[in-house]
Amino acid sequence: MILLTCPNCGARNVSEFRYGGETNKRPDVNTATPHDWAEYLYMRRNPNGMIREWWYHRAGCGSWFIAERHTKTHDIIATYLWSPEAAK
Amino acid sequence: MAVNTPLTATSGRIAETPSQTINRREVVKFTFNGNQYTAYEGDTIASALAAAGVDVFSRSFKYHRPRGLMCATGNCPNCLVQIGDEPNVRACVTPVESQMKVEPQNVFPSLGADLMSMTQMIGRFLPAGFYYKTFIHPRQMWPVYERMLRTAAGLGKVDEESHPGYFDKIYKHADVTIVGGGPAGLKAAQTAAKIGARVLLLEEQPALGGHLRQSTELINGQPAYEYAAALAAEVSQLANVDVMTNTGAFGRYDHNWLGASSGNRLVKVRTGALVVATGAYEIPPLFENNDLPGVMLGSAVSRLIHLWGVRPGKYAVVVSANRRGLQTALDMVKAGVHVSALAEMRAEPDADLIDQLRAHNVEIFTGWTVAEAQGSSHINGVTLRNLTTGATRNFYCDLLVLSTAFLPANGLIYQAGGRFTWSDTLNEFVPAALPDDVFAAGEVSATHTLAEIEREGELAGLQAALAAGLGSEQDRQRADTLAVEVEQHREARQAWSAYGLIQADAKKDFVCFCEDVTRKDVRSTLEEGYDSMELLKRYSTVSMGPCQGKMCNMTAMHVCAHYTGKGIAETGTTTSRPPVTPLSFGALGGRIMEPVRHTPMHEWHVAHGAKVMNAGLWKRPLHYGHPTQEVHAVREHVGLIDVSTLGKLHLHGKDVPALLERMYTNRWQKLNVGQVRYGVMVNEEGIITDDGVTARLSDDFYYMTTTSEGAAAVYEYIEWWLQSGWNFDVHVLNATDLRAAMNLAGPQSCQVLQKITQGVDLSNEAFPYMGAREGTIAGVPALFMRIGFTGELSYEVHVPSGYGLRVWEALIEAGAEFGISPFGVEAQRVLRLEKGHVIVGQDTDGLTNPFEANMDWVVKLDKDNFLGKPSLMMANKAGAQKLLVGFEMPDGTLPEEANQIVRPGSGPIGLEIIGRITSVRRSPTLNKVIGLCWLPTSMSAPGTTFTVRVKGELKTGKVVPLPFYDADGAKLRL
Repeated sequence: MILLTCPNCGARNVSEFRYGGETNKRPDVNTATPHDWAEYLYMRRNPNGMIREWWYHRAGCGSWFIAERHTKTHDIIATYLWSPEAAK
Repeated sequence: MAVNTPLTATSGRIAETPSQTINRREVVKFTFNGNQYTAYEGDTIASALAAAGVDVFSRSFKYHRPRGLMCATGNCPNCLVQIGDEPNVRACVTPVESQMKVEPQNVFPSLGADLMSMTQMIGRFLPAGFYYKTFIHPRQMWPVYERMLRTAAGLGKVDEESHPGYFDKIYKHADVTIVGGGPAGLKAAQTAAKIGARVLLLEEQPALGGHLRQSTELINGQPAYEYAAALAAEVSQLANVDVMTNTGAFGRYDHNWLGASSGNRLVKVRTGALVVATGAYEIPPLFENNDLPGVMLGSAVSRLIHLWGVRPGKYAVVVSANRRGLQTALDMVKAGVHVSALAEMRAEPDADLIDQLRAHNVEIFTGWTVAEAQGSSHINGVTLRNLTTGATRNFYCDLLVLSTAFLPANGLIYQAGGRFTWSDTLNEFVPAALPDDVFAAGEVSATHTLAEIEREGELAGLQAALAAGLGSEQDRQRADTLAVEVEQHREARQAWSAYGLIQADAKKDFVCFCEDVTRKDVRSTLEEGYDSMELLKRYSTVSMGPCQGKMCNMTAMHVCAHYTGKGIAETGTTTSRPPVTPLSFGALGGRIMEPVRHTPMHEWHVAHGAKVMNAGLWKRPLHYGHPTQEVHAVREHVGLIDVSTLGKLHLHGKDVPALLERMYTNRWQKLNVGQVRYGVMVNEEGIITDDGVTARLSDDFYYMTTTSEGAAAVYEYIEWWLQSGWNFDVHVLNATDLRAAMNLAGPQSCQVLQKITQGVDLSNEAFPYMGAREGTIAGVPALFMRIGFTGELSYEVHVPSGYGLRVWEALIEAGAEFGISPFGVEAQRVLRLEKGHVIVGQDTDGLTNPFEANMDWVVKLDKDNFLGKPSLMMANKAGAQKLLVGFEMPDGTLPEEANQIVRPGSGPIGLEIIGRITSVRRSPTLNKVIGLCWLPTSMSAPGTTFTVRVKGELKTGKVVPLPFYDADGAKLRL
């Protein structure tokens, strides 16, 4: 049971959260090629290492936020709400 | 079996000593194997039976060999028993209770005369992998084999009807958690607590003290058990130390989350730092007949003597490879056991103890070990062998005591990501690398002498408190100094463990007692190519039984290393997974909690005869006795259904239309105030995920309904888009529980509503189909939406939850003169099916796009941007391969939902599945069987017939146009 730090509520058991998957960038729906779209829908990096991923504080404040987690060690180095800067 | 006079608990007892935990003034009676026994209060089942002279406790798994007490600590499989309806109870650590009914396991027909023990006569035919190889051919026979093997396999009996009591969970939070309350754990607790840490100390045994509880060795002139009791009392009294005994930590999970089992409580712990002071398992060496009853570990003998006052045997031989073995031999002598010989595997054993033993006429054999035990149902002799010359000596004995090796109880450390390395000087694994917040102390790190154990405990307590963010600079310096001292002492350690013999001619030298795996089985497994420890384990099943490798892992490694010619370090060990200590499924399951959701009108439904069904967590009326009459009531007069379970979202803000444009596949920019629109949601793959209506109630306030199941998911999905970069001025509130909702449906619904509604002009012109109005009903503020899933004139009424029942009753009362009937989910399913409406999740599945569901009209591909647009563009271009269509059964057969639509083809019964029925009912309105089904597009034209397999028979269905009822919607629009 990992501990996640919700940017609003602080450190909580992961059972309070819903996983939202790796962050990825949605292509422009009007110019995306089928290949771009398939990449967006189905391809994930799934690294053995640091990953940026979405979490939702379902049993808490209702925030969707981004966590930077090491998939092997579960070290979580940062959690933060989305912002245009964070998206880059 | 007849119940005889109780067998006495006193026969095998020695004199009282202060270390003993039994109360000889309180006698309890219990039965084992049909015989009545007595025990003292404080006895375990096993100690009482041992005192009464019972030596066979169980039959082994494969060969049904008799097995007796071996570890008496809860680590080995030998004394697993059945108590009432609970199987696999460890008799040696379970307190005996009055009237307890204890039965042996794995015996057929009885413990004494076990027919299955015949299997050991043909033992050479049952090598490792025997079952895999033998029962796989011919394939068709597998069901027969399986039935046969299932009877012979497994331990104990599970009573599926039993209710084994109340289980629950305990949550603990600590700065420092220490697993193991022996001297290392106690010192760690004391040290961490002094620095101010909140300390949790978990001990699997009933009392603190660890191995010192059963030791009489003198510490500063005081017997070890007294010293330990005093230290335990001091630690327990500290205000910031929380002690839990009878609590075994079974797993360490991420971020220092621990699971522990405490009777019928599951303890969940979050700790800042973890100290693993779990000690070591004493393990038996390898020799012929090493599993005979009467062969016991030194720690078992110490526990029998010092905790329960049981004399473990009369004539004993001891095999030792460490100081504790010699001490045990001395204790045995003092307890009145005749110790004829002691084989000491070390060349230079502790002279002080050797001298004392010699003084008691114990013959000492330095540099000797055990080669063979003799006996059939109990040991009656032993052969010792000189490790150098190979010379042998035989001795008579009824007890063989083994103190030759330790395996660190390091499962929790492995689970934490720690690593151990093999020490050739110590013949044990030692910690090599630990995570920053996990520490090891004492025998788990191959340290066996008290002064060193305590020093390591103190260091671990200091380091753990520091890791938890406590302590001063001075504490840090102290930790650094102590760490250097500990390291120096570690380097000077002597081996306390030695190997058993690998004897090529031995036949019953067991590596694994749980699964009856012999040395020879391990060798043949290796010869077949399974030459890594993980493969060896899986193929030979060594370490896969109840003890989970505690007794056998080290021996298996040793044998593997011997035959492969690799060192132990290279051979390596297997992965340690939870649970490291046994726990019951009941504890894992916890309290039986089935949360349910009731609508505000639930009690009314129940009081009016509703048959209640589950809809997710919701309880909904399926019907009120006569679903067909409910259908007729709606078609002919008026009916009322509770739809409070619908998801309800409040959408506020100027950008709501823009949001809806993206969330739904159709257009929303031109929805006027007072209008309702149906929408379908798809995900980015273009798959239908939800549907519902949304009403615009003011310029910037919209009211969305979702399916009952989809409420939370839709809310979270919308929130995700809003919080992940869609810069919209929209606020969403999940109002599902704030509002009760009911649908008043039927040609006379308007007349009923008219009677109790204010502030809304209900005329068809003022409030047309797909309109939304706000007003009051029965004095309660309400939202009215003129929509109709049923196909009749109908109004969905949403009111604050607290008024739901009041409004419901008012409508029922107002409708009485029109013959109103409440209707349930079943009638609604029929009514909507007659209209050909789709239920998302029933008629659609995780691969259905709107085109396939005949909903082309709801997809506007020329919109700029909406979820799933590229997917739907592609799906539209490719064209639908299958379609959801309406059908009838001309011969009146009523198929079941999920029946398959087939055509001749390959396969075992010569049929190919080409579709399936998703909804089907006998329509009371149309008096025929109607439904929805999936068919290949080529077969979807009205009039096409198809074959459906109904209970094994092939029936004919016919595609018909949708809807079945009121095709032009005149009933809805008026």
